[in-house]
Amino acid sequence: MSLKPSLLPTRALLWLLCGFLLLLLPQWDRLPVWLAAACIALAGWRWLAQTGRARLPGRWLRLAIMGTLIAVYIATVSGRFSVDTAASFFVLAVGLKWLETANRRDFFVLFFILVYLATVNFLFRQDIGWSLVTLAGVVVTLVALQLLHTPADSRHSSFHGLRRLGGMLLKTLPVVIALFVFFPRMAPLWSVPLVSDQARTGLSDSMTPGDISSLAQSSERAFRVTFAGETPEHRDRYWRGLILDRFDGRTWSQWQQEPYRPLGRVNRDAGLEALADNEYDVLMEASGQRWVYALDNSRPVSANITEVSGRVFRLERPADTSVRYRMELERETGTAGELSPAERRQYLQLPPQGNQRSRQLARDLAMGAGTDLAFANAVLNRFREQPYYYTLRPPAMPDDPVDTLLFDAQRGFCAHYASAMTFLLRAADIPARVVAGYQGGSPGPDEAYLIIRQYDAHAWVEAWIEERGWVRFDPTAAIAPQRIESGLRDAVAEEGSFLEDSWASPQRYGDLPLVQWASLQLDRINYNWQRWVIGYQGQSQMDLMSRLPGNIGLRELGYLTAGLMGVALLVAALVAAIRHGGAARTDPAGVLVSRWTRLLQKRGSTVPAGATPLELARMTEQQAPAAAAVARAFARDLNNHYYGSGSRSRPGRGSHRSTELRLMRRRLARIRRELRKRSTVHGPAQHPS
Amino acid sequence: MHDTLYPPRACNPETAGNPFRSSLLSTVKRPLLSTIRSNIRKRWQAWINRRIPVDDRRRFDRHSIFILPTAAGLVFGLLLVVMLLTGINYQNSLIYLLTFLLGALFVAAMHQTHNNLNGLELTLLQPGEGFAGEPIPFRFVLQAPHDATAIELGEETGGAVTLSVSGHDRVEGTLQVASRERGYLRPQRLRVETRFPFGLLMAWSWLCPVTPALVYPKPVVPPRAPEGSVEAGDTEAVSVSQGQDQVELRPWREGDLSARIDWKRYSRNGEMAVADWQGEQGSPQWLDFDGFPGVDHELRLSYLAALVLDRERTGEPWGLRLPGITIEPDLGNLHTRQCLRTLATWQRSAPGEGVQ
Repeated sequence: MSLKPSLLPTRALLWLLCGFLLLLLPQWDRLPVWLAAACIALAGWRWLAQTGRARLPGRWLRLAIMGTLIAVYIATVSGRFSVDTAASFFVLAVGLKWLETANRRDFFVLFFILVYLATVNFLFRQDIGWSLVTLAGVVVTLVALQLLHTPADSRHSSFHGLRRLGGMLLKTLPVVIALFVFFPRMAPLWSVPLVSDQARTGLSDSMTPGDISSLAQSSERAFRVTFAGETPEHRDRYWRGLILDRFDGRTWSQWQQEPYRPLGRVNRDAGLEALADNEYDVLMEASGQRWVYALDNSRPVSANITEVSGRVFRLERPADTSVRYRMELERETGTAGELSPAERRQYLQLPPQGNQRSRQLARDLAMGAGTDLAFANAVLNRFREQPYYYTLRPPAMPDDPVDTLLFDAQRGFCAHYASAMTFLLRAADIPARVVAGYQGGSPGPDEAYLIIRQYDAHAWVEAWIEERGWVRFDPTAAIAPQRIESGLRDAVAEEGSFLEDSWASPQRYGDLPLVQWASLQLDRINYNWQRWVIGYQGQSQMDLMSRLPGNIGLRELGYLTAGLMGVALLVAALVAAIRHGGAARTDPAGVLVSRWTRLLQKRGSTVPAGATPLELARMTEQQAPAAAAVARAFARDLNNHYYGSGSRSRPGRGSHRSTELRLMRRRLARIRRELRKRSTVHGPAQHPS
Repeated sequence: MHDTLYPPRACNPETAGNPFRSSLLSTVKRPLLSTIRSNIRKRWQAWINRRIPVDDRRRFDRHSIFILPTAAGLVFGLLLVVMLLTGINYQNSLIYLLTFLLGALFVAAMHQTHNNLNGLELTLLQPGEGFAGEPIPFRFVLQAPHDATAIELGEETGGAVTLSVSGHDRVEGTLQVASRERGYLRPQRLRVETRFPFGLLMAWSWLCPVTPALVYPKPVVPPRAPEGSVEAGDTEAVSVSQGQDQVELRPWREGDLSARIDWKRYSRNGEMAVADWQGEQGSPQWLDFDGFPGVDHELRLSYLAALVLDRERTGEPWGLRLPGITIEPDLGNLHTRQCLRTLATWQRSAPGEGVQ
């Protein structure tokens, strides 16, 4: 048994297919290739069947296809469950549904699934471009639904459907915006799984200097910072993120694993209040990680981050969407405090073996330097004076990487030098650690904010100096000062390795002003989108509402929203009534008759439906004999009006009609007066017999 | 215009079909509940009937248009709730936005669907005629002050016809109404429905037409020739009549068939006389209700209908005799139609006559 594909209008199906492909687009880099290919193939099959060039599969073939694809899915997912894998399964379900879409019901099912697919898309992609693609997909799907309910003729083309939909969207836009602003942003009702457990571009929690850094080749945004006061100099902008304090001879990692904390519901947002002078606001892209980046001497202001040991900060839960947080710069405290023996052990840890030449070098240098600070400066001097090079194309260093770097290769980038210096410090019995984060950042449009990109990733060293506490040392600054002063582009200008693999990145063409300008304007749009649309959540809403008069809380917002909706519905109903009421009131004499009927009913007469004017006149006479004459005259007028020698079709009688109506109105007024007189004398609802 | 002045009779609550026969409550056996239910239904019917007058012409306005979400609309509402929950739990502004957008669109669609029906004027042009068991065509014309798309006109249960009309235009459509038995056929309520634009909502109203269609008895060929009614075969009607002594002759009148003229008499004395079989029983030209003694009345009518058709085919004149009604023998289209109509309406009163 195979399904008959011809039951659905071809146009509608075509639009639905287009909607599906549009909604699939934002997921292209997330979906496994086989799944995307299968979906397109299945949708294509449905299209071929519709146009009669192929047959839809029978029941058994369909089951076989379904079984195969689901088996492949299960094999690739292999037991991991996250929103990510669930969304993939959802996409697979949509793809399979295409083969079963034969009637209107199936069409509706597909429509609903596609709308929810759009919802899922928003979980993964929130920047303005992809959001527009998703919305376009929804619009196309809605047009498809319209086409399903319109006859297929020239008067009802797809274009008409699109225009009608556009009109509807335009008319409802104010309501949608009002709802968006005022609908109370409740706290999440329950904890939800992370959207994605896949690694993203960004820092990782370990650093192996021998590996090739891929981050330096990525121009993706890491975060953006807005300073209330003056923006610090480029060379002072060290964004600390992670402390790597455990070295196994090759790789630096965190001594303490990230402490397990139950997953917070979501990351709260930082609000919209104006920044104080010493505050700065960071809008971090989704990183899939908990850690956030902050300058030295920062203290959290927004409630969504907390400090952990080593003066680094963590989010409530991994940033699976972009997060905004606020920090405040403090003046340097100067109080160093003490390092506990356990901490001291931790920051002096080295593997027992390996890198013997470096250990020897540390002993030699320590001999010459009196203090810890002098030792650190001696190391920096060595980097500065001897021929060490900063390069993004370092040679591989599989064995004893520190020795290889210091004595043989003498070529490397920040991770190599930070690793080597920390090794030397520890070997000389000075507590030290590698700090990973970002350094620098380029100004955004009109220097409104800073953009920190992945290629700004950096690693440096902090050493514990008695009475001064943790002091930052950056060996890279000694070797390639341009990296610190103005960024990676200048540091590797000679080598020409800046973004050499990412030819599509606009940052690569920094020397073309037009490209730079366009890319910055785009960034500004995206920034505002992220800040005001995506980032408009609980705290932002409360901050905005606090600017309005009255103490508006969540509950008041609920009332406000309900009220707004009521008003909107009322306005819509009124507009509709006025627009269509005009047609119903085209018979002014009819209005007079119904008014007369109501008058009589109010006085207690039972007026049968369809009473003639003369009957009405008789009833009036019964109630108020004084009104008999005028009522009869009025009835005559009405009869003349409707059945008289007919001025209706003759042109040029408009003025006559209006005088006639005026006369009738006057007569009705007299009838009313008489009836009222009557009721004040005898009371209402009296029938003189 | 007139119908606003003199609202016509309302649909009869007793005869009107009930579109809201709830299956939900039908299993409940408790008499109290069923009383309440029938009470509610009666009130609902009465309420509808006040709003839907019986007339061949009707203009739909907001007082008589009903609107409810379809099953798909309900699922859509559920989907919006799920989307809102997703938005709340992920604090995802874009999902909020999409939910509000679709929700507002749903309300806008409510207006669209309602407006699609609002102001339309539907008129029954002509109810058709046909044999019982066949669909009877009803011709309607739809007029709209604005574009109206995909207006479905149909019985509560049964066939439907979909019409679309552009602004200030008119469009005709024919609805086939199933007929079961002979007589007057008046669909109690025709449902005028639209689900445009998204199918998430349906707006509907009813038309209670006055003018009934005529349904002829379903022709049933009698098992044997009726008593006294000899199949004429090839023998001419006149020659058969010659064998009859009781033929009454009367002077020729305009309109008499030439086949009935007694040409022999004419050739004899030039007198144009017509053979008249009035009052005569068992004449072969007469199709007689009493020719099938013992047979059920309705079946007799069916036999007669079949014989009428048969006579029309063979082209020989016939008369029809029913208790209380006699139709003179004649031939031709009009005669056939008249006979069939008489068979259709014999002992049937036009609907609505008793309602007044």
